[in-house]
Amino acid sequence: MKPRAARQLRALVLKDLRLELRTRQTLLAMALFALAVMLIFEFAVGSRTDDLTPFAGGVLWATLALTAVLAVGRTWVPEREQRVLDGLLVAPVPRLALLVSRIIAIACYMAVVELLAVPLALLLFVESPHLGDVGWVVLVCLLADLGIGVVGALLASMAVFTRARDLLLPVLFLPSLLPVVIAAAGATHAVTAGSNDLSEYRGYCTFLAVYAVIFGLVAYATYEFVFDD
Amino acid sequence: MTEARSTRVPAVVGTLSAALTVLAACGVFLVAPEDTDQGIIQKIFYFHVSIAIASLVAFALAGVAGALYLRTRDEKHDELSSAAVGVGLGLAVLVVLTGSIWARASWGTWWVWNDPRLVTFLIVLLLYGAYFMLRSSADGERRMRYSAIYAIAGFASVPLSFYSVRVAESFVHPVVFTQNGADMPGSMLVWYVVAQVAVLGIALTALLLQLSQRRAEKALMRIKLRLQAEP
Amino acid sequence: MDSGTAYVVAAHAVIVAALLLYVVAVALRTARLAREAELLARLVDEAQTRREAASAAEPVAAARVDA
Repeated sequence: MKPRAARQLRALVLKDLRLELRTRQTLLAMALFALAVMLIFEFAVGSRTDDLTPFAGGVLWATLALTAVLAVGRTWVPEREQRVLDGLLVAPVPRLALLVSRIIAIACYMAVVELLAVPLALLLFVESPHLGDVGWVVLVCLLADLGIGVVGALLASMAVFTRARDLLLPVLFLPSLLPVVIAAAGATHAVTAGSNDLSEYRGYCTFLAVYAVIFGLVAYATYEFVFDD
Repeated sequence: MTEARSTRVPAVVGTLSAALTVLAACGVFLVAPEDTDQGIIQKIFYFHVSIAIASLVAFALAGVAGALYLRTRDEKHDELSSAAVGVGLGLAVLVVLTGSIWARASWGTWWVWNDPRLVTFLIVLLLYGAYFMLRSSADGERRMRYSAIYAIAGFASVPLSFYSVRVAESFVHPVVFTQNGADMPGSMLVWYVVAQVAVLGIALTALLLQLSQRRAEKALMRIKLRLQAEP
Repeated sequence: MDSGTAYVVAAHAVIVAALLLYVVAVALRTARLAREAELLARLVDEAQTRREAASAAEPVAAARVDA
């Protein structure tokens, strides 16, 4: 990226992070929501069986997928409320920089929530968690967050300009996210469920990387058409 | 003149497809040999797989038309894209229904989660159902632009969904997946091809009908607006 | 008919039913389009007769002003 575009990108990302740090509104909501969803899973499923270890990976990623809807749903909303978005669009900022800044913002939100959710899920749902497991899960989180960021940035940027955006976004976002949930849950399960099958883990992580690349290409090709000319 | 020509194409395609369908049905039920493993239930696959492939072709067409719209901003490409998604979605519903009957016949349950093809088409219903919700949430030029972007993104999602389910299943059941159809004997394969072409023809007829009706609606709307404008 | 054949028949019956439903949907839509076209034709005729009546009335009015 050219140096000027890189500087603009950094400015955009810092703006998002600074805004969030000041209010902590989105992060707090996401954290509470993630905790609530995990409790829902425990009471809906866990009371039928004593050991939820086989389901820990699935529960974690179901929770994170739903929590992602919150993070992604905030895309461009504060900017629109403060009427900053028009200024951003008129300014000579390349649309690609807007896309990348959104991806980074969403990925960061998810990472912060995962700092809370992953240890919590290991403690609540896994019978005998190992500390080393966390490292393996971290890589899964990084790859999955990238995919979530790319898909979320593209779809939410469209949803924000439509009617009934809160209704539309989950319907648009979650079906496209299903492959990420399948792969991330599978990779986490391979780590936590004791089999520690490295080839399984590698297969799922490769898939997550491929997903991020493919959707990254789609977003790169179409993002400039999201905004009116 | 152009009017006469445009009504002839769907008629010709439709008639040919109908003939092919009858031929395929006769071939499948009367001529093709019965499968040794699955018995008569295997006969469902001829049309089940044909419809599945036709559905994917429709979605691919929608994606390509969407990309063309973004390039040219010609409304005709948006018409084609949304009509193709509609046809694809209808075909996908049929895939899920016939697949469910096949599952019941083979496994005793009305649904199986370990068949990547079946699960992928369930996900496809969600993906492209959302397409129409997106269309109804926007108007005018924006609706066409966003539909085009989503048609492209949706078509990228289809193979990703298929492979994610397939990869997950390969770890749970580490058995070699036999592609139903890849190693078909020639006596079966020929009737599969006939059925596939027939279904593609029917899908094309439906697409052409859809387009012509949409255009007729738009033309009538234009006339109505003109008349209302005049005193 | 053993159960296997029953399922095969059911699957193909679903396909045939879907085709028929689609034909019905197309027919209904075509009927609606035809009705609208007829209505618009009538409106055009009415507008035409109104215009003819208006232009017929004018020369009379002009003649009366002259006289």
